[in-house]
Amino acid sequence: MNQYQVSPAEKKFIGSHLLVAILALAVGSLFGPLQAFEHAGWDFYPYLKPLIKSYYQGLTVHGVLNALVWTTFFIMGFLTFNVIFGLKRPLKNPTLNKVGFWLMVVGVVTAAIPILANQATVLFTFYPPLKASWAFYLGLTLVVVGSWVEGWGLFMTFYAWRKENPNERSPFIAFASVVTALLWQICTLGVATEILTMLLPWSLGLMENVDPQLARTYFWFTGHPLVYFWLLPAYISWYAMLPKQAGNGKMFSDTLARLSFWMFLVLSTPIGIHHQYVDPGVSPTWKFLHSMFTFGVFFPSMMTAFTVVASLEHGARKNGGKGALAWIGKLNWSDPSVATQLLAGILFFFGGIGGLANASYNVNLVLHNTAFIPGHFHLTVATAVTLSFMGISYWLVPYLTGKKLWQPKWATIQAWTWFVGMIIFSNSMHVLGLLGAPRRVPLGLAPYVPAEWNSRLIQVGIGGAILFVSGAIYLLVMLKTALNKETVEKEVEVPIAESMQDPANTPVWLDRWAPWIYGALALIVLMYGPVLFEMISNIALNAPGFGKGPIW
Amino acid sequence: MAKKDKDDDEFRPTGTIAVLTIFVITLIAIWATIYMILVGRGGTL
Amino acid sequence: MSTQKMHIDSYERNWMIVSAVLLVLFATAVSVAAFGLGIQVPAPEQRVDPRTVATDPNSPWSNPGLREVAPGKYDAYILARAVPTWEYLPKEMTIPAGSSVSFYVTSSDVQHGFKIQDTNANFMVIPGQVSKLTITFDKPGTYNFICTEYCGSGHGVMYGAITVTP
Repeated sequence: MNQYQVSPAEKKFIGSHLLVAILALAVGSLFGPLQAFEHAGWDFYPYLKPLIKSYYQGLTVHGVLNALVWTTFFIMGFLTFNVIFGLKRPLKNPTLNKVGFWLMVVGVVTAAIPILANQATVLFTFYPPLKASWAFYLGLTLVVVGSWVEGWGLFMTFYAWRKENPNERSPFIAFASVVTALLWQICTLGVATEILTMLLPWSLGLMENVDPQLARTYFWFTGHPLVYFWLLPAYISWYAMLPKQAGNGKMFSDTLARLSFWMFLVLSTPIGIHHQYVDPGVSPTWKFLHSMFTFGVFFPSMMTAFTVVASLEHGARKNGGKGALAWIGKLNWSDPSVATQLLAGILFFFGGIGGLANASYNVNLVLHNTAFIPGHFHLTVATAVTLSFMGISYWLVPYLTGKKLWQPKWATIQAWTWFVGMIIFSNSMHVLGLLGAPRRVPLGLAPYVPAEWNSRLIQVGIGGAILFVSGAIYLLVMLKTALNKETVEKEVEVPIAESMQDPANTPVWLDRWAPWIYGALALIVLMYGPVLFEMISNIALNAPGFGKGPIW
Repeated sequence: MAKKDKDDDEFRPTGTIAVLTIFVITLIAIWATIYMILVGRGGTL
Repeated sequence: MSTQKMHIDSYERNWMIVSAVLLVLFATAVSVAAFGLGIQVPAPEQRVDPRTVATDPNSPWSNPGLREVAPGKYDAYILARAVPTWEYLPKEMTIPAGSSVSFYVTSSDVQHGFKIQDTNANFMVIPGQVSKLTITFDKPGTYNFICTEYCGSGHGVMYGAITVTP
């Protein structure tokens, strides 16, 4: 096996990202099931009082650590690996990447202190005028800035490779990773503006009041593409790695895979207002336009579904797979890295359906801020993304550490328990939402809960319990792997599916950056410019903050 | 890279079409159910 | 090298066409509901000062409640607040079946939500803004309205009810 050798220092650097990510997941995932148990009437929060003051403090810890920290650290580590391994070249400026990483670590610690001190019980959306400690906003800023700096390190590396290889088509995993990092740089301008022009000076006492409607608009400028920042690394694995692992399949269409990544870059930001359909301060015209573009961004996900499934089928047929659906059984289900990602992909079909319903303009009136929403995003970020990342770690951690994966059969059990637990949890959350149950409410205590919700609330708790066991197995497998005395005989092979067509035949316009970047920026100006111009020129800074004491 | 196997040319993703057909039917059914709830509840103007 | 044509497999091309048609159908259905059936999302209604909206005697929210503006037509001015306690003012309203009610909801502190169960009224309540939708209540019964956005530790107990009499 002659694969490109990533240096031990770089492996350690990538591994540090995974370490922080998994620690965040460990702490954050303790609190997920506690919310679910509360719904079922098994409220543990009173016993946690000395440490965690309320359901909402627990929910804040869960949301921030799982949705923001676990994802961001895992993603930056995985993208860094993809760029180095894909381009077969070391980072151009490793110091820059290290600076970015440490900024992120300092940011997480800075934000974690007020969260644990119950000074930032504002949930992971931190809508003002809920007012957290300044350290919370500063910490988030440092995480974002750190991820930017790491992104710059990746861009410089890609640029250096391009100078060295002016005529070569960029390797897919590196290309797609750089697009993902670029999408993140563009879309985080929204939340950066929100924090730097309003929330941070306000929490420091330099500004008395804020404009909550404008703050929401900045937030959702970032909030929707954030979803793609989470998803695209999973897509990279599904497109370019999973087919190889699942049965030596080839990537069905290199061309359309690249095109879909460009479409995500261009379309994922100028649609953020679809999270604000029922905001009073945004005109229905812009809401409607953003809804139409949201249908547009569904298109590359449909293309992804085709290419990924066809690439898997290609391998399964070569291994003797027959029938319309029976071939699925020929995939390499015994490999936990495959089982996790296949199961994640199956649930993602339903995540996509729920997402399309949420995004369908007035259809959102039925669903907005109901339990349907967390039901939905536990299929996307908490399954399509999280379960896939767990699957990636089942080969990536042995690759990085040289230790054998501890008890692969336990890892397979982890995949299936997550799948089953999530089906029970998420299905009941979706149904509760359709019955009118609100999100972000300790439904075990809410006075308006009708008896007909009870059986579903119990199911939420049962699903949460199974997920808790699955999460614990994952952490056990990771811990035991890190401590494993058994080492791999030779370096773990990085699964890279070759393309069915020679990538050299992919049209050259799919390897040009400028037109796509200009296109993305132009569309943002077109779709957000008038909205933001109108809001900023009529800014009303008149909402004072409410924080610990009156509010939580 | 990308040496072409001869079976690549013969590969027809019929199983993929089967999977995606099930997906599309489910998508339409669920989306339409929620849409009908919306329509059943009437106007907001 | 820039002459490569884009190659798309025929199955995949058909799938892309199906996807596009499907999305156009959904967009059409949404448009019919919005522009044909009048199922719309809230539009900018009015800006207020959240610091004075509940106390200024000229503000309708200093005296929140139901006003009959024409036979069977009502305006409901509702104040959502977390301070001093989590509640809507008024908490209860009674109307006869067949009434059409325009809800004007605002907040004097943090963000809230407002969702009337079993109706299409479901929107954000944001300090400084007034959210408005109009709902016709044909069926008698009790309709809870509940807070759907986190507004502090009492979020889960924040609700009220509309009684529709036969």
